[in-house]
Amino acid sequence: MSSKAEVMNTKQSRLKTKQRNGSKAEEVETVDYKMVTFTLGGKDYAVDILKVKEIAKFAGFTYVPNTPAYVAGVFNLRGEIISIIDLRIMFGLPVEKRPEGEPERGLILRLNDMLIGVIVDSIDRVVGINSSRIQPPHPIFGDINIKYISGVVDKDDRLYIILDVERIFGRESQEAEEQKRLTLEGQLGAAAAASGAPAVGAGMQPGAGEQRGEPGTEDASAAGTAASAEELEAAQDQFELDLTFIKEALASYEQFHAGALNADWITTRYEQWRSERKAAQRPVQFESGDDALEFLRGFYSRDSGRFWGPEQVELFREVLPERLRNTITVWNPGAGKGFESYSLACLLKKAYPDSTLKIWASDNDLLSISTAPNLVFREDDLPSFYREFTVEGSNGYSFAGMIKDSVFFEYHDITHANAVPEMDIIVARDLLSFLSPEQQATVLNEFYEKLLDHGLLILGDNETGLDDRRWQRVQGARIAAFQKK
Amino acid sequence: MRVEYINPFVEAAYSILKEVTHGEVNRGELYLKSTSMPVLGVAAIIGLAGDVEGRVLLDMTKDTAIKVASSMLEGMEMEPITQLNEMGKASITELANMITGQAVTKLHNLGFKFDLTPPAIFTGDNMEIADTGVEALIVPMELEHGKIEINVAIRERS
Repeated sequence: MSSKAEVMNTKQSRLKTKQRNGSKAEEVETVDYKMVTFTLGGKDYAVDILKVKEIAKFAGFTYVPNTPAYVAGVFNLRGEIISIIDLRIMFGLPVEKRPEGEPERGLILRLNDMLIGVIVDSIDRVVGINSSRIQPPHPIFGDINIKYISGVVDKDDRLYIILDVERIFGRESQEAEEQKRLTLEGQLGAAAAASGAPAVGAGMQPGAGEQRGEPGTEDASAAGTAASAEELEAAQDQFELDLTFIKEALASYEQFHAGALNADWITTRYEQWRSERKAAQRPVQFESGDDALEFLRGFYSRDSGRFWGPEQVELFREVLPERLRNTITVWNPGAGKGFESYSLACLLKKAYPDSTLKIWASDNDLLSISTAPNLVFREDDLPSFYREFTVEGSNGYSFAGMIKDSVFFEYHDITHANAVPEMDIIVARDLLSFLSPEQQATVLNEFYEKLLDHGLLILGDNETGLDDRRWQRVQGARIAAFQKK
Repeated sequence: MRVEYINPFVEAAYSILKEVTHGEVNRGELYLKSTSMPVLGVAAIIGLAGDVEGRVLLDMTKDTAIKVASSMLEGMEMEPITQLNEMGKASITELANMITGQAVTKLHNLGFKFDLTPPAIFTGDNMEIADTGVEALIVPMELEHGKIEINVAIRERS
């Protein structure tokens, strides 16, 4: 007996040594690939750890109707709405029903800056391997379509199937993006929509249906950030769709970008346009670039492209503060041929006769701005308001040295670096609407930076939608005048 | 850049280049640039100071530089060059000096006071120039020897 036991012991210890040696050999092997392992339908699977944002428990997520069966719903992950996919249903594997109230186990994956949650049976652990040991998938792995498998790896006598999550969700996420884009564009007031739209699942109509599971506070906020069913229906309405196309056409024909800045005007104008076109029995959509021009005709501010008339001068004087510094600095980007800049120079000279005036006027149209410093005009082109500042020359009238010397005309692109000092007043009428949304944001930021405290920003008559955290509309102003907060 | 500064540079570049190369000179469309831009291979730079601050950069390929320098030397009845040697570099530097000098003289007559710094020349491959905080006016000039870009960046002292 004893000898037999001894033999057994020796055998066992030899086996142990062997095992230890074996595992030592594996340890020596460098780990260059870590994966999170989990089970689906009782089998072992893994995903690259770099794709995993975190391991999570999902409880009380919001069910979304009208989606594929594998979309379990949307979930509020600390304020960010993510869609939850049940991988078992997606791959047709058996689903173990969890007891009522127990949270689902899952992973949050990060795919191309998009977060997506997946539900699995249970999370196992993190396993480190050497990537050279990953073998290509064998065609007989029947449970999951082979194109979703990036490889198989054997570790500690367990076979892990590594899923290619980019593949699985790649196409789907593109679709979701596309739908999100359409939904966003369809909604009026892009700025309002952008902040309220969920990150991923807009195409899946989040929050539109009943809630599944125990409704918690998170659910309430998830539903709150999402648009209601009626709003979505309205967004899909033909009216909205036409408007979206018109906005796109304006951008491509005239580089006019519809956004929060000019939202009020464009909505009113669009309604008016619809009835005009209906009356003329022509389609609502533009048939040519001329239609885009026609659409925008009413957009331009009063007296743009000529000397300001008495009415505009009066409207501008209303918003001017009683006193300004001894040296008044004004920035007038988009000055064109200079009519606006000269108008500003004359009216500010009259309003503050004791101050020195410096106006930086720029345009990126070389031909227009080149004529500005030596602008010559006929007497009857000039409202009488300016008469005292002009001199008669051999070719016609021009401004007196006092006015000319106060305006610096520059060939300059506003989207480039702006080397101007701090400003009391910025006059940029009908300029921002013709910049891309990104450029608009940059330039507005630049205006904010360059303005002195409580400085004045004058935009186009139809450009009134500014961020009210930074800008305050001047009280009683009849033009688009804002004060820096 | 102030509108008044543009023409003196364009005119000076045109007349000097025409004078030294004795050939056709065509001016391309002017444009503005503010991001970093590649330098063609040979760049002569002159700093500006005074009422303003900035610089003028004359930029061309090595091949163009050799040809332009050669025709300048031949104009003075000297041997043309085949490589960008000391003589060649001195010629390109002088070209930059002539253009900027004439432009500044024109500006002076208009009442703007500019001072010049001594010119410097850079050569090399894959060079880039970046001016943060000031945009550059590019005046492209097409010669029979190739293209020369006059890159002017000036801002008011504030």
